[in-house]
Amino acid sequence: MTGARDDVLVCDNIVRRFGGVVALKNVSVAVKRGEIFGLVGPNGSGKTTLVNAVTGFYPPQEGRITLDGKKINGLKPYMIASMGVARTFQNVALFHGMSVLDNILMGRHIYMKPNPLASFFYPWWARKEEIENRKKVEEVIDLLQLAPARDEHVDVIPLGLQKRVELARALCAEPKLLVLDEPMAGMNQEEKEYMVRFILDAQEALGLTVLIIEHHMDVVTALCDRILVLNNGQEIAQGPARETIANPLVVEAYIGKPRDAA
Amino acid sequence: MFYRLSGTFHTNYQADRKLWKIPADRWLVLTVFALAVLAPFLVSPLYLGSYVLPWIIWSAAALSLTLLMGMAGQLHFGFAAVMAIGAYSSIHLVRAGVPFEIALLLSGIIAAVIGAVFGAAALRVKGLYLVMATLAMQYLVDWVVVNVPWISGGAHATLRTPAVSFLFMDISSLASRYWLALAWAALITVFYLNVKRTSFGRSLVAIRDKDFAAAVIGVDPFKTKLMAFFTSSFLGGVSGAILAFCYYRAVTPEQFGFNVSIQLVAMVLVGGLGSVIGSYLGAGFVLLAPIFLTNLIAGLAASGWVPVSQNFLSHLPLVIYGAMIIGFLLFEPLGLAKIYDNIRKYFLVWPFRHARS
Repeated sequence: MTGARDDVLVCDNIVRRFGGVVALKNVSVAVKRGEIFGLVGPNGSGKTTLVNAVTGFYPPQEGRITLDGKKINGLKPYMIASMGVARTFQNVALFHGMSVLDNILMGRHIYMKPNPLASFFYPWWARKEEIENRKKVEEVIDLLQLAPARDEHVDVIPLGLQKRVELARALCAEPKLLVLDEPMAGMNQEEKEYMVRFILDAQEALGLTVLIIEHHMDVVTALCDRILVLNNGQEIAQGPARETIANPLVVEAYIGKPRDAA
Repeated sequence: MFYRLSGTFHTNYQADRKLWKIPADRWLVLTVFALAVLAPFLVSPLYLGSYVLPWIIWSAAALSLTLLMGMAGQLHFGFAAVMAIGAYSSIHLVRAGVPFEIALLLSGIIAAVIGAVFGAAALRVKGLYLVMATLAMQYLVDWVVVNVPWISGGAHATLRTPAVSFLFMDISSLASRYWLALAWAALITVFYLNVKRTSFGRSLVAIRDKDFAAAVIGVDPFKTKLMAFFTSSFLGGVSGAILAFCYYRAVTPEQFGFNVSIQLVAMVLVGGLGSVIGSYLGAGFVLLAPIFLTNLIAGLAASGWVPVSQNFLSHLPLVIYGAMIIGFLLFEPLGLAKIYDNIRKYFLVWPFRHARS
């Protein structure tokens, strides 16, 4: 697979092993600019491992990952982040010692230059940067309707809101590629629908490219343009969301074959 | 009630990020600062020299440590060694003819470089292992100071600080030494508060709370931790120099031993990790509570209230003091700062019961 101009993320024959376990076997995927790409598969099929390979936590042993044509495998997670990949985590990973606002401001980190001297000379040095970035943060807060929770401490707000704060933090980085790891995990139907709407709103407003891991098939069909289905670290189907989900191989991987029921 | 949150609105981001957002807080800070500046005229020289002055200097040291331990979450059990480096460097620099102002700055930088070198070596480990690594720094620096005569002047020698002046003000009278220490404490306080509201402070807290989530938004964990070690050691080094010149005026290696490191950690913990007011309260508690208790019990014994032996009497304050620290950590793990905060929050929303922020 070669990286065409409109491919943001290209993974080419990725292999990742943990000891004797091969978690990803020659997985290839290309995410086009502006699309929402779904990553689907049963538990332990390698979805999160693929995301961790892309974001640099578990660099692949073989294969090549490029972002806008630049090779990113082998780089440290913070370097990949500064190249324009933002992500959220399946178990919310917010900073508990901070308010909602400060958490979202953290998302602007790659645009800021933290420096003790700048902090010391705040009125002459750091204030301009803080206020400029605050403006961008407030835009995202408006988009995701987080204003009422802005000054709350982040561990006193409900889980649905925490997930939205994490999404806001990722959006503030103005990423080329947004990676969402099960943004609906542990949510009820109403919260799920809210989240879907926020993701669609954000994608429309900011022209995002999204790679999303999701288990809820209603969400997958509502959101994703194309999906990749993994099972045991291997691709079993790839293509437009609705058709791919109807693929007998996918149904088999998720639910099992009729004779297994016996 | 004069001390309330409702009725205070901010219309721009600059006002929203003020150091003291509520007018009552600003007045409180101004009043306390004015009283501190006027202390030499309000307090007898005995009290100023033996209680207020050390309290201010140790508060500055506790603030330097809490930047690393409270904000960045990196435990450091060798902070007295950092202060020793600052103290000895400043004395030798002044003796070599460097002006005191520049010597203070340079001693801070020397302490920061050495502290950051040990930090870099220690940063591959976390938690309890980091405690051990920083303990190693304490003992290594102690050993070097004691055993290199060029630094300490010999194993049991005392180094007198030379007479100096700061910005044309002669630092020899008690009041001038106190004002210099106060200026340094005020400077660190403003610095710490500014760090808290800027990206530097946020990245430190991010590393402390969830290092992988910090990495995924572009924070370089190693560089950030190293910056925390560097900054904190710089402040600690200058605080050590201030301690030597303004309070001790004659330095021996024992003044910066392991027990002093533990005392600093106690100040930070009792006061409340990462809190400015906590550093002042914690330093005050750790320094003054034993003295206060000793005086109290001696007074009670003299008036016949506690009929006990002299031997028991001399240890009783330490027992009560230890029990108080355990009590704090059990019942208010967030320290004295949290107690202050609870009281403040109560008045902030009085007569209602729930604060919005």
